[in-house]
Amino acid sequence: MDVTAVDRSAVNGASALHRAAPRSKLVAVALLICAVVVATDPLALAGVTLALLGAAGAVRLPLRQMLPLALYPALFAVIFALAAAPGPVTAALIVLKAVTAALGVVVLMFTTPYPQVFAPIQRVTPTIVGDALLMTYRSLFILAEKSADLMRAVRLRAGVSARQPLRSAQATTRALGGLLLYSFDLSQREYDILRIRGYEGGFRVTPQSSTAPAADVAAIVFGSLALALTLAARSLPALAGLTWMTTLAGLALLIAGLLLGRRTR
Amino acid sequence: MSHIHIPDGVLPVWLWLAGWIAAVTLIGLAARFGPRGAAARRTVPLVGAVSALVLVTMSTEIVPIAYHINLTVVAGVLLGPWLGAISAFIVVLTLSLLGHGGITVVGLNTLMIATEMALGWALVRGGARLLGRARIAPVAAVATVLTLAMTTTLLVGVVALAGAGAATRDTGALDPETLEFRNPFSDGVIGIGLLGGGHDHEHEAEDDDAHDAEHDEADEDHGHAVDDDHGPALDVGRFAAVVYTLGPIGWLIEALVTAAILGYVARVRPALVLDGALTAEHRPRYGDEQGGH
Repeated sequence: MDVTAVDRSAVNGASALHRAAPRSKLVAVALLICAVVVATDPLALAGVTLALLGAAGAVRLPLRQMLPLALYPALFAVIFALAAAPGPVTAALIVLKAVTAALGVVVLMFTTPYPQVFAPIQRVTPTIVGDALLMTYRSLFILAEKSADLMRAVRLRAGVSARQPLRSAQATTRALGGLLLYSFDLSQREYDILRIRGYEGGFRVTPQSSTAPAADVAAIVFGSLALALTLAARSLPALAGLTWMTTLAGLALLIAGLLLGRRTR
Repeated sequence: MSHIHIPDGVLPVWLWLAGWIAAVTLIGLAARFGPRGAAARRTVPLVGAVSALVLVTMSTEIVPIAYHINLTVVAGVLLGPWLGAISAFIVVLTLSLLGHGGITVVGLNTLMIATEMALGWALVRGGARLLGRARIAPVAAVATVLTLAMTTTLLVGVVALAGAGAATRDTGALDPETLEFRNPFSDGVIGIGLLGGGHDHEHEAEDDDAHDAEHDEADEDHGHAVDDDHGPALDVGRFAAVVYTLGPIGWLIEALVTAAILGYVARVRPALVLDGALTAEHRPRYGDEQGGH
């Protein structure tokens, strides 16, 4: 899980989705998650997933970095599906639900800086929660870098080796102990800095406005269509047996999106 | 079993909505009964740093066993139950935004991790008082195993609640049994008969009867997993068997790591483990009573 890659893409990216208003993207993701919740047809959901991948490819998001994150929950979903699903179709549906929802939030996080995503949450939560959320974001990158340095130091000192698992585990946990002490000291330093700057509780994040209104509309239309499609596949008996066509349509959109992304490179 | 790796749309709506409501209530209580005023300002970077630490360790593999640890008991010992609940919410929300756990199950996950932190805090503190500082490592190991066993049972309870056929069908979470392939052009000019299409309407009634009979047989095969009135349900027995077979390996690894870390910290900074991160020397500095300068 490379959180720094997510932040790099969110902050430095310049695609139409990056320029869309965070509020529109949050609404689109909420609609997509509603679509995932109501979906009972794996073929319809597969169509949505492929179309979403196509959209990400069309605006040239870093798919190579995004896909491992989006597929990561599939590992756990497969175990859950094998353990609890009553049949293979339900198992496929569970895995697809995991991947589609994860892909939706990963697209959001790769195109929107964390503070912008947290801003609406900060408005409805107690001050201590909203502020700690933003401090977590700041500390995360510092600790991720420190953790990488510590693990590199442990490896260089030959503390980690597959031949000596016990010694490796001891060295790794000692490094984590060091990281814990470092994180505690970091919180002390951050507190001192906040005091000097006159912090009285309540960080303010200015919401980012849209510079690509078409992308705002496109994101919300995509989310609405995904919800309409999964709802229709679930509740309209006339559509039973025809949802394989949405998978094909999704595949066509994926290919079109990838070609479009390559062409605009 | 630190958090539920169940995707969105698997658990019934009433269950994850109840989880969200309970989690929001817990966060509200934590903000009300936790530190206030200057002490609250001191806790903001502390909760941020500890939450970030938990997030970083969740992305750090223990070489060579390829297992991600959680450090929820360690975070609980440092923060205590109220701040632990806030940290649990932050960790779960951030993870869900990285695709690790569903957005809808954030509430249930918050309750699970907050329970782990509170239980871990109570057991480690109680054990350390009872057996002394020197035995903090074994106390932490036992506390971690007990905590994880308890939350794993909670997880099985959640799946058992979701596993009732009525719940899954009524909320539409899982019901793919109508899945079939049909050719949309079979009734028109281009009746090519692909994918099972192309059959005429006279035979539709017969086909439907045959289809129903097949369904009945399939339902019997699935035994209790399928309910005629309520659609397919999650198999709680099989799920519990898998979780209680694989879970103890994770509990053991987590217990060893937690014991090693808390043992190490207890040697170099005992107050952090025995009194928590907000001991007298770490409380708000002079001049911060009113906030800022």
